[in-house]
Amino acid sequence: MAKFKGRYWLNFSGPKATDPLIYLMSKKFDVIFNIRQATISGEMGLMGVEFEAEREELKAAIAWLEEHGVTVEPVEINTIEG
Amino acid sequence: MSEPFFSQLKCRECGALYPKKAIHVCEYDFGPLEADYDYGKIRAAISRGKIQSRPLTMWRYRELLPIDGEPTVGLKVGFTPLVKADRLAEALGVSELYVKNDAVNYPTLSFKDRVVAVALSRARELGFKIVACASTGNLANSVAANAAAAGLESYVLIPYDLERSKVLNSLVYGTRVIGIEGAYDQVNRLCSEIAGKHGWGFVNVNLRPYYAEGSKTMGFEIIEQLGWEIPAHTVIPMASGSLLTKINKAYREAVKVGLVSESKFGIYGAQAAGCNPIAAAQKAGTDLIRPVPKPDTIAKSLAIGTPADGYYAVNVMRNTGGAAEDATDSEIIDAIKLLAETEGIFTETAGGVTLACAQKLIVSGKIPRDERIVICITGNGLKTAEALDGHLPPPARIKPSLREFDALIAK
Repeated sequence: MAKFKGRYWLNFSGPKATDPLIYLMSKKFDVIFNIRQATISGEMGLMGVEFEAEREELKAAIAWLEEHGVTVEPVEINTIEG
Repeated sequence: MSEPFFSQLKCRECGALYPKKAIHVCEYDFGPLEADYDYGKIRAAISRGKIQSRPLTMWRYRELLPIDGEPTVGLKVGFTPLVKADRLAEALGVSELYVKNDAVNYPTLSFKDRVVAVALSRARELGFKIVACASTGNLANSVAANAAAAGLESYVLIPYDLERSKVLNSLVYGTRVIGIEGAYDQVNRLCSEIAGKHGWGFVNVNLRPYYAEGSKTMGFEIIEQLGWEIPAHTVIPMASGSLLTKINKAYREAVKVGLVSESKFGIYGAQAAGCNPIAAAQKAGTDLIRPVPKPDTIAKSLAIGTPADGYYAVNVMRNTGGAAEDATDSEIIDAIKLLAETEGIFTETAGGVTLACAQKLIVSGKIPRDERIVICITGNGLKTAEALDGHLPPPARIKPSLREFDALIAK
């Protein structure tokens, strides 16, 4: 199965924001992560990351992150404008 | 233009330089790419007199826009009125107030005509035959109209369940409208994939660095229309936050190229309370933007829950001594009516947000009452007329009788 690369902004907030979620995700799913940029302030964090995985595996990993309170947006955000 | 004023694209985060292609994200840190210019050359090439000798359009400032040659799309866009709003000033209790009125921008009655004119002119230079956007309103109308006038094939992607009235305003121009079933982020992903796979010019994806620069012309015009002065306070609506950062850039560039002398100015951002990620961050004193997962406001054109330029907008407000506010739906409606009743300007809901927030900033003392204030109105009320349903009295109704008429007006 061909691997797919995607670029995302992850926004960590809420009670699980300080958990090692990227580490846990990579243990649970076969996803290669490449962190390009990260900022943290108080209980909120923003991370620019590239994920590489088989498509279905990546979808499941993103869904898992979202279940844990992480907002996952493609880097190309706001393509829908008013 | 023989002189290459627009030199390259530059990452706003790390400063990495890129060629002037249809790209928009830094490969290293995903920072947004922005147009970069040779300001020394521009300074030597333009003057107030030269600008004033040109037609009254946004292209008067073309050396500061990211195209290589002459513009080819949207040649009549811009130079909208800057209205000295004395009656509104009196109502707000301030001494000097102006309304920059893009509700009458040509051809589609919103500031989006500025960004689209630049994006499509650049799209042509880059050789695109097909242009596209994903939009729920003003942007779609503008891409459809300007592409039609320029003879470019265009596609507009919309959420499949968008109201028919909004779809009509794009369909009429002969654009191909495609409704997409799916959540917001799925549509986002599809658009970036289409841009990559089909080689289309997506105005706010791969053409974004060019598109965004068009907003600067609103700032240049304000300066020129004030007699070449930067206003002390400018209130700007925020969706992605891009317009606010670009008006700030325009003010700074005007100083840099010698069109105005340096002066202190404050930039203020306005959002709806039902979708206020940037205003909330500014008020909390952070530049990390907490996404709003489900925006709930009548100001739909500002309802972006994950604003791409939010971080930069907060920093502009902080660095200029500005501030942010947000307005509830009822405050938005009241502000739309106030602007209409005092100045005869009918704005869409986004304009109501801007005026309502300006009022709050004045009442709270964040904007002083005795200095020059400009409010940016970005779209026309006819586009969101349904927002006023039930908020205006019905017209009086009488029989065709003079007695009934006299009785009515005597009330």
